[in-house]
Amino acid sequence: MTDKITDPVALWQKMIGEMEKGFNSFATKAMETPEFSQAVNRAGGVAAGAQKQFSDLMEKYLLSLNLPSREQMTGIAERLQAIEGQIGEIKSMLRQMSATPGEKQIGAALRPPRTRRPPSEGGEQK
Amino acid sequence: MNAPTGLDFASVPERIQSEVQRAIQRSIKGVEYFSTSGPTLGSTPKDVLHSRGTMSLYHYRPMSDEIYRVPVLIVMATTNRGYILDLVPGQSFIEFLLKRGYDVYMLDWSAPRPEEKSLRMEDYVLDFIPDCVRRVQQDSGEQDVSVIGYCFGGVLSLLYGSIFPDGPMKNLICFTTPIDFREMKLFSNFSDRRYFDVDRLVDSVGNVPPEMILSSFEMLRPASRTVSQIQLWENIWNDEFVKSYRMFDRWATDTLPLAGEYFRTITKDLMWDNKLFNDTMSVGGRAAKLENIKVPFLHAVAEHDHIVPYDAAKHLIAKIGSEDKQEVMLKGGHVSLVAGANAVKRLWPKLDSWLGKRST
Repeated sequence: MTDKITDPVALWQKMIGEMEKGFNSFATKAMETPEFSQAVNRAGGVAAGAQKQFSDLMEKYLLSLNLPSREQMTGIAERLQAIEGQIGEIKSMLRQMSATPGEKQIGAALRPPRTRRPPSEGGEQK
Repeated sequence: MNAPTGLDFASVPERIQSEVQRAIQRSIKGVEYFSTSGPTLGSTPKDVLHSRGTMSLYHYRPMSDEIYRVPVLIVMATTNRGYILDLVPGQSFIEFLLKRGYDVYMLDWSAPRPEEKSLRMEDYVLDFIPDCVRRVQQDSGEQDVSVIGYCFGGVLSLLYGSIFPDGPMKNLICFTTPIDFREMKLFSNFSDRRYFDVDRLVDSVGNVPPEMILSSFEMLRPASRTVSQIQLWENIWNDEFVKSYRMFDRWATDTLPLAGEYFRTITKDLMWDNKLFNDTMSVGGRAAKLENIKVPFLHAVAEHDHIVPYDAAKHLIAKIGSEDKQEVMLKGGHVSLVAGANAVKRLWPKLDSWLGKRST
């Protein structure tokens, strides 16, 4: 078994780890400056505006081809997801309704009793 | 670089052989990696109790013969999916809670639709959370509800708890929850009011795109993504490492967009004016002072949290009005505090021992 000092793989991994820390630390210092904030926000603002314009243009283009845009497809997918959610809700209600009639709490009909106590007062882990 | 002293030449052939075997394994497993999907996440059995736009309320099916009287509602952060708390069996916080006898609900989020760009902080704090709490009460048949908030879910839970101090919240637990937003140095600098025109951004894009949220998280540690890919390649022969990598990588890149008006309030009230820390925060005209919260309170923070540094979270415990309150600092980072192998040993048992005795 090789120890970590003589193991080239371990040395390589250590070097990568140190490089990561060093680069992150260097980049963090650079990103904390107001100049960075100014530059990134200028670039981000332009990019966001351009992205919006491009997206609007693309939507018009797809509309002219009688095709749905990605946003519309995502919208349909999300609506389907919502419908699935509502089916789940209905299933949950049906399950509760089919439980033993006469239970005081409908929601609690299929649940275990709420009588659990903590194992011991002195058992808390530090 | 100096050559290491005491190089053990006898072990070199053995090491070379091992590396050759790993290189072969890397090629085989590398092909497998790209041809298979990752482990199924979020598979603990649950029912959707309610779903409305971006909001979903789940109830997880109990796994214990006897449960605690007080149900638990988990409020997830609005930037990420809730399955980080329900990874795979054995590494699922939800499963852990169920097996320890808790009745668990989760308020989770999906991407807000374009027409939901007008959702405001009021919708989250005065509508979504109270609505879910009511449904938990109705479903469980109990008046008391314990709330657990993760990251920004913790901020939302604090706002809710401070606006509704008379209940029905019985216990409040926050994981890595910031209140002093000046101390989130990089986020604070990215959103510097002199250069960041939040109105222009929100007015032009509607909902803030997930790519923007993801890149701002990744910029906190710009080298880490590249290094993690190098580490993946080095360890691709190791099935457990790959499984873990895939789970966390999928979750980390599965970032949600943020509703535009909500983002505008976060930027102006929290990032710029630091209102929660300064006790001047209000939601829908209702004051949200942390001192109003009087219920038993636990705040778990991570020692190496690069997203919510301790300085941004440390004043929370002092500002909370509860007499029964505790802060615990555990080893780990922002995500490893709550999920993964370390959380199984550290946070989860701590939470169980704290919450169990307050759930009867």
